[in-house]
Amino acid sequence: MNILFYMASIVAVIATLMVILEFNPVHALLYLIVSLLSLAVIFFLLGAPFAAALEVIIYAGAIMVLFVFVVMMLNLGPRSADEERSWHPARVWFGPFLLSAALLAELLFVLRGGGGAGFGEVSPEEVGIALFGPYLLATELASMLLLSGLIGAYHLGRGYGEARRHEPGPVEESTP
Amino acid sequence: MTAALSSISPLICLGAAAVLVMLLVALRRAYTGMAALTLVGLGAAFSTLPLMVDSNPHRLFFLMLNGYTAFYAGLLILASAACVAFTFSYLKEFERNREEFFILMLLATLGATVLAAADHFATFFLGFELLSVSLYSLTAFPSMTQGHIEAAVKYLVPASVSSAFLLFGMALIYAWSGEMSISRIGHELRAAHIHADYQWMVAGLAMIVVAMGFKLALAPFHLWTPDVYQGAPAPVTAFIATVSKGAVVAMLLRLFTPAEIQTGSTLFWVFGFMAALSMIAGNLLALFQENVKRILAYSSIAHSGYILVAFLAGGARAIEAVSFYLITYFLATLGSFGVVSALSTPGMERENLDDYRGLARQNPFLAAVFTLMVLSLAGLPLTAGFIGKFYLTLAGVGAALWPLVIILALTSAMGLYYYLRILVALFVLAPSGGDRRPKPPLSFSNAFVLTLLAVLLFWIGVMPAPVLNLVRAMVG
Repeated sequence: MNILFYMASIVAVIATLMVILEFNPVHALLYLIVSLLSLAVIFFLLGAPFAAALEVIIYAGAIMVLFVFVVMMLNLGPRSADEERSWHPARVWFGPFLLSAALLAELLFVLRGGGGAGFGEVSPEEVGIALFGPYLLATELASMLLLSGLIGAYHLGRGYGEARRHEPGPVEESTP
Repeated sequence: MTAALSSISPLICLGAAAVLVMLLVALRRAYTGMAALTLVGLGAAFSTLPLMVDSNPHRLFFLMLNGYTAFYAGLLILASAACVAFTFSYLKEFERNREEFFILMLLATLGATVLAAADHFATFFLGFELLSVSLYSLTAFPSMTQGHIEAAVKYLVPASVSSAFLLFGMALIYAWSGEMSISRIGHELRAAHIHADYQWMVAGLAMIVVAMGFKLALAPFHLWTPDVYQGAPAPVTAFIATVSKGAVVAMLLRLFTPAEIQTGSTLFWVFGFMAALSMIAGNLLALFQENVKRILAYSSIAHSGYILVAFLAGGARAIEAVSFYLITYFLATLGSFGVVSALSTPGMERENLDDYRGLARQNPFLAAVFTLMVLSLAGLPLTAGFIGKFYLTLAGVGAALWPLVIILALTSAMGLYYYLRILVALFVLAPSGGDRRPKPPLSFSNAFVLTLLAVLLFWIGVMPAPVLNLVRAMVG
């Protein structure tokens, strides 16, 4: 059982290191997805399939796709076509591929009944009961945290747009 | 359930006020109305604090609800109200959306209050994050100059790293003890060193101390402080220096008081080292600054060091001394940043020492308030700061922490120099050619709050007994 955990952990560590070491943001994001997937496998092994599913759906799925889109949009320019071409060589996708293949092999092994968690499984129902039972206030606080992030993002994003429209030149230090 | 909800009603008031302001802003942007509503929300939260004290049971929703929590929550809410009042006139001429500022301020106050009340790693972390995330946006809020953005980034990066440290530390402690309740962990700490695998706990604690040291701006985790204090809008700087710090102090005391840190233990050396370094670094580096906000930033680093001296003394006396000192520190810091904010606008912070030359002639009221606040920060008699420092020293002497007490005395004396530099600047004549900057007229809200702070500061300095008794009754 432990060996599965260590494999997933090693994948997570390598992938996360590559996120930091990669210079190209899109390549780094590829590794970040692998890192999140390996976390999902770890959650699964620990007996929390619901958390694992959420990790895949929310982080690796929705948020990462958003990131990739934003980064690709930011990179638009005359160089983008060259970059597009430079993304294709095998050495770019081979690393993430290898790491996710390891994860996939692990997942298949576990799904075929290769090893139980060793702990009890936490069902979605139990998660819901915990969230709206003892952790009620914590859940509400988490929603306030999201609200704060949302308002900040709304305000700062908007403020920049206006500033840029009013000032045609690059923003300079306003020292007289 | 109703009883349970009523005892956390201060938190509910803060959250509800934030949501209400947000919904009303969506309908119509009424700046004065929203500021008033924010103050009403803070006032409602403050007035429901007695329900928190009377809470039965004391542990609810992973919060500790008692006099101690109510004291800190009240202090944080009042400080936040003062910051809102400063903001009101600071942003008055601001042309972009400004009502969001109040929503973020309410959310940050909610986070700070939760942090002060937390009795569980979950609430601890959520409060910590809510405070940090709101402060990122508040720091960058006007985004008028590059300085605001720069300060926000300089706050964002170390703050998120410190959150990661905090989370990792919590995970390690949970892995070791299977415990997430702050008060029980505190008790475990006392007995922890007899276990063979104690190093897990030490590693976890070290990480939590790093995160808290960051928020408290303790050396060696203080590097962000001067830049962020300088770049942030003045009311936000006041908020970071008071509310954010006060909440973490409340948590620090709650976590480590049951541990009864013994002289010579690992924790003692860690905190002692940080206290000494903060006092020395803060006071030394402040000597070379030409910027009032930076001077105050370094002074706040030094003040965190002073607080740690009493904290290390341990026992009920230490909690009293720290809590009382925090009141005096809050008053003086809010007052001095209040003066800075009264003289500044989002696009033009009045922050260099030269900008303050001749203030005594231009605006005698602000100069007088600033003088009183600076004297209190320096700890001169007849101000609250003196009584506060006296109690800190007393606590330190009582526990025979001689090296730390000596450093406290020496560095305070050194600190006089840069505090006096501010005073000298206030009273010398303005440079020839006069002040080039337009001076915003003093608004009623600023004048009211600053007068209140100055009166309180002087009153506590002359007659500390009522406040001391209040602190003793609430915190003891």
